[in-house]
Amino acid sequence: MKSKFLLALLWLAFSSPAPPDSQWVLGQSSLSYHVTHPLHQIDGVSHGARGKGTCHAGECDFLIAAPVKSFDSGDSNRDLHMLQVTRGGDFPMVVVRTKFPEVEISSPSLHVDLEIQFAGQTVHYKQVSFQLVTQGKDIRITGTIPATVSDFKIDPPKLLTIPIKNEIPVKVDMTWDPL
Amino acid sequence: MKYSCKGIRAGSQSASDQRVQQWNSLPPTKAIRLAVIGLAGCCLLAGPGSALAQFSEGASPALADFSAPDCSLNAGLLQISDQNPANAQPQGAPRSEGKDQTQNQTPPSNHEPSLKDLGFPTDLTKGNAQEQARLDRRSHMLQVHQRLGLIAVAPMLASLITSSGAKGHHGAPGSPGGRELHAILGAATGDLYFTSAYYAIRAPKIPGTHVEGPIRLHKALAWIHGPGMILTPILGAIAYSQESKGERVHGIAKYHSDVAWVTALAYGGAILSVSIKF
Repeated sequence: MKSKFLLALLWLAFSSPAPPDSQWVLGQSSLSYHVTHPLHQIDGVSHGARGKGTCHAGECDFLIAAPVKSFDSGDSNRDLHMLQVTRGGDFPMVVVRTKFPEVEISSPSLHVDLEIQFAGQTVHYKQVSFQLVTQGKDIRITGTIPATVSDFKIDPPKLLTIPIKNEIPVKVDMTWDPL
Repeated sequence: MKYSCKGIRAGSQSASDQRVQQWNSLPPTKAIRLAVIGLAGCCLLAGPGSALAQFSEGASPALADFSAPDCSLNAGLLQISDQNPANAQPQGAPRSEGKDQTQNQTPPSNHEPSLKDLGFPTDLTKGNAQEQARLDRRSHMLQVHQRLGLIAVAPMLASLITSSGAKGHHGAPGSPGGRELHAILGAATGDLYFTSAYYAIRAPKIPGTHVEGPIRLHKALAWIHGPGMILTPILGAIAYSQESKGERVHGIAKYHSDVAWVTALAYGGAILSVSIKF
């Protein structure tokens, strides 16, 4: 009788764990910036991003980060110059943070405020829209971040003394897996 | 917020000594039973205790001061023998993070993933001033290389244009003035070229960089225009000497023009390779 009582006590004590937060981890990803120059159209792509998202109390916090040096434009010389102008030695990571209501995960589109840390600057982008497609348990998120060179106080690189365009839109294609 | 069984720990040193003695005098089976009961009771209080404990921000002092019991597996035994406040740590204490509890009371920052969670190696996430300095120096030197290289195009083109005045036509030697002008332009081209090359060669290399893209062609063409830029003035000097003596250009010097054109074409190709996407 005593042992049953003790077991019951133990069961009561241990059987009330917190409901687990829903967590997401970045599976495949492709982040690409587009640079326009009168002589060139350049796309630098990174597949080296990692990300994690936690949803709790109806709100989700997502974090995505990628090493600046992981962006590949197909020209190592250009990539090294990109690394230099974006101060990739001092600030080697691009970090993106966002919060949004958990219910929006099941909607076909997402409008979120982004906080981007890059080149030693922190820039906020309001209401950036992304498309969501559910693929089994995974979620594929695509969209474009309207970044500009001046947002991050980057001295625009020049080729033959002609600078690149200020707009460097960043295309995002990510697949998130639930944990 | 401390998660310790303060209530159990409370008491003077002498009282606790008595408890230790009492404990040691108990038969082993009874001691185990008591430990289990203590552990179970302790853990039963853990949930609500933790809930109250997490109320600390803006909660009443009475609630904020509440400390949940320590429910580590050996807590029941340790409470009696260990009086060291340093051990009053929440080792293995299961924290109840129920929905109701965390919705309002837990700061959101607790749930936000951090960069550490992503598992990047620290050397990748940490800034490196030396690396940035190396990148800055490299970019600066390559920009000088680019600028001088572009400036060198002007005297090079002028040298090619004035070459006809230097060598003359139909077997007749060129004018001395034409040769002088051609030689001066050639020398200016050589000076600018080798200064530009110095900046490219001396620019710091970035370890671990795999060279790819048009820069490979740019570098490959240097193996043509580099030797060409050495050979062209040598052959030009021989040709100049022969022409100055009133001789027809002969021997190896007669290839001066061919070498110069190949060099110029390779040089132009090297510039275009990094300027135009193809």
